[in-house]
Amino acid sequence: MGSRNDILDTYIYENSSLLEQLESIILDAETINTLSQDNINEIFRIMHTIKGSSAMMEFETLASVAHRLEDMFFIIRENSMSVVADENKPEFFNMLFNAVDYFRKELEKIENEQPLDTDIDDLMNSINSLIDKISNKDSNESTETEETTSEEAVETTAKAYEENPDYPYEVLVFYDEGCGMENLRSLMVVSSIGDFCNESDFLFKPQDIEDDPSTADKIIENGFLLMFKNSEDREKAIPIIRTAGSVKSYQANDYEAPQKETEKKVEQVAENVEVKVETVKQEAVNNAPVKTTSSQAGTSSQSSSQHQKESLISVHQSKLDQLSALVGEIVITEAMVTGSPDLKGIENLNNFAKSARQLRKLTDELQDISMSLRMVPIATCFQKMNRIVRDMSKKLNKRVKLNIIGEDIEVDKTIVDNIGDPIMHMIRNAMDHGIEITEEERTSKGKNPVGEIILSAQDTGSEVIIEIRDDGYGVDDEAVLNKAIKNGLASPDVEYSHKEILNFLLMPGFSTNTEVTEFSGRGVGMDVVKRSVEELGGTVTITSQRGKGMTTTMKIPLTMAIMDGMEVSVGETIFTIPIQNIRQNFKVSPSDILHDTVSGEIIKIMDNFYPIIRTKELYSLPSGVDEIEDGILMWLESGDTSYCLLVDELMGEHQVVVKPLPAYVNSFDIKSCGIIGCSILGDGNISIILDAGNLSNAVFRK
Amino acid sequence: MSIAEETVTKGTTSKNSKYLIFAIRKDEKSELKLGVNAEYVVEILNNYSITYLPMMPEYVRGIFNMRGQIIPVMDLRLRLNKPVGEKSLLVVLNYEGMELGIQVDSVDRMVDIDEDTITTIQSQEYQRFVLGMCTIPENEETLLILNCDQLFGNE
Repeated sequence: MGSRNDILDTYIYENSSLLEQLESIILDAETINTLSQDNINEIFRIMHTIKGSSAMMEFETLASVAHRLEDMFFIIRENSMSVVADENKPEFFNMLFNAVDYFRKELEKIENEQPLDTDIDDLMNSINSLIDKISNKDSNESTETEETTSEEAVETTAKAYEENPDYPYEVLVFYDEGCGMENLRSLMVVSSIGDFCNESDFLFKPQDIEDDPSTADKIIENGFLLMFKNSEDREKAIPIIRTAGSVKSYQANDYEAPQKETEKKVEQVAENVEVKVETVKQEAVNNAPVKTTSSQAGTSSQSSSQHQKESLISVHQSKLDQLSALVGEIVITEAMVTGSPDLKGIENLNNFAKSARQLRKLTDELQDISMSLRMVPIATCFQKMNRIVRDMSKKLNKRVKLNIIGEDIEVDKTIVDNIGDPIMHMIRNAMDHGIEITEEERTSKGKNPVGEIILSAQDTGSEVIIEIRDDGYGVDDEAVLNKAIKNGLASPDVEYSHKEILNFLLMPGFSTNTEVTEFSGRGVGMDVVKRSVEELGGTVTITSQRGKGMTTTMKIPLTMAIMDGMEVSVGETIFTIPIQNIRQNFKVSPSDILHDTVSGEIIKIMDNFYPIIRTKELYSLPSGVDEIEDGILMWLESGDTSYCLLVDELMGEHQVVVKPLPAYVNSFDIKSCGIIGCSILGDGNISIILDAGNLSNAVFRK
Repeated sequence: MSIAEETVTKGTTSKNSKYLIFAIRKDEKSELKLGVNAEYVVEILNNYSITYLPMMPEYVRGIFNMRGQIIPVMDLRLRLNKPVGEKSLLVVLNYEGMELGIQVDSVDRMVDIDEDTITTIQSQEYQRFVLGMCTIPENEETLLILNCDQLFGNE
């Protein structure tokens, strides 16, 4: 895949984020059933960008849809949301959602290098019919506004600089507010253009930018105007302008006699929207102080988002992966250098030790930073759920409110990428099976007629806990058990506890809904959720109270790259045990050990009894201590299990870089025996990372 | 080596592929010659230290660290139910993105083999690890071509 075009990547990335932004605006707007002027401006801007970039990438269908939407928002922008009559609003919002879906679908096709949908008539028709409805409503009013604005626009440009009919192809450039040295910035643009364009083929205004610093003020006020003889030269100049520093906006304009412009009718506005809209937009920026407050707000929000954009860069994830890998190597190498056996026996290491400490400090910082680069807010994933709830409430005719808590928690990018599907699945489940079918049913139970689903994230320092809670039916234990028996998952003569019954839900081939619906129960059940979460190193648990609702809890380690661990040896083998699982380490004598009926060993600590697991026996290791007093007991705890692990020796606490085990090895399912990864030690040897929870499961399952 | 080079210069018009030949002892006297397509071979090592990995079948000896990459090691002799000699070399393979080191008794050389001369075989107890067989052009020995699909699969 590496060969994919960079521009295409950027195009897909940028447009996907725009669509996300657009969707969240529409979702919010739909709940209050109107759009604020700021949001209208924002949607207009988004459509404009999509149109422009799609046209550049030659995705004509995308560009034309965006173009029509832009036209529509142009009208709305000029006349406020009141042009959309109340009876048209549901249609209006639905059309917008359809448009978002359309763009998403097409972007996905572009990403997968599939041919684009050429049939956009349905969508275009729905947009056009809305535009008709909107413009019919108060065409008179809009005509007036259009004409005044275009007149004003032309005036400003005309007033600022004298245009030259011989150089009809113009570009007007504006810089970021307060960026300084506008004249010299312009000069740089001019000299870059001079590289390919004959000096006699273009003009620029103001002219004395090189010698006269006061031209900077003129540029701030009126922009910097470039005029070309040939349109090809202008086409070539635009990329230069775009990449020049601090350019806030630029507009391409063709010279036309002013009186001609004013004659234009509204019908033409739609046609020529590209040119005119630019003018109008630019004018809004120029004349912000004399305009209405709403457009002022629009301008400032626009420029602030522009600034924010500049302080963020998007990096390909593979580069971050490489960086993490490299930092991991550095950490290992550092340990190798400072712990080198060659240093033994050297008397005076003062300077070395000092530098080594400094190096250690720097690598630690480097590690922290490289880890933080991969952390992104979980919001991107949570926000998508709003849409799912919205769509499903419409389809199922259930009113449901989604409450999102803790969306600003940051987690590793891989988690955000992979947690979306499981969450979506659980939310669909909650909507479909959880929330009561009718509102009367809810009211009769004393519940709020509107169902509630809470999606929350919580950061515990080492893991993130994601909870999906609904206030619907809850799990019907009996139905689940019957189903489990029917599917051969449970045996009819065994008594199952509530917890065990809930566990059936997570088993493969289990789906309580007898009917397969569009949203859930496509033969795959929650086992898929369980599997995806486990792939991230996490766990899923379900709790439920009949009549009150169900809660799904996913616990996922925040990052899987680096952790603090205790290195221990058993014979020749070295294991690493996560620090957070260790409660205590101690030595015991055989007299402290109790035995249960099946020769299992038990130890009493603080009035509680804990089983002892001998690592050597568990993993049938070739060497290691046999007498319990020669080894050391580690009291481990994970979730609700607690036990003691016998190892030979503690070797010290280290920060280790977790490496996943090779796929071949993982195919033997050793994860379920507690072996979850490995890490490379300072001397190049490998230690095996154990997971306290899985390890005990492996033992007690036997 | 010279033979191999010669064949290369002759051109690769037919479906000639390079194969690495390595040997596994069958018993005291005879050897089994096995070949694997050279495009899967990453490296041949004679000095490596294996970390034992518990809960694996006997033929998986463990994992080893190849310049920061963790690679599983399989003893091919155990996998094919052959006696394990004292000395062994590690051939690191990369098959469809998966890496695996296989321990063998010795590594022979590279040869060019015309894919058309490889015949599929039907019998033998280790047949599922063998894709087919052919004769090594210069010395008429029989070469068994390893079936990487089976080797990298888990049962």
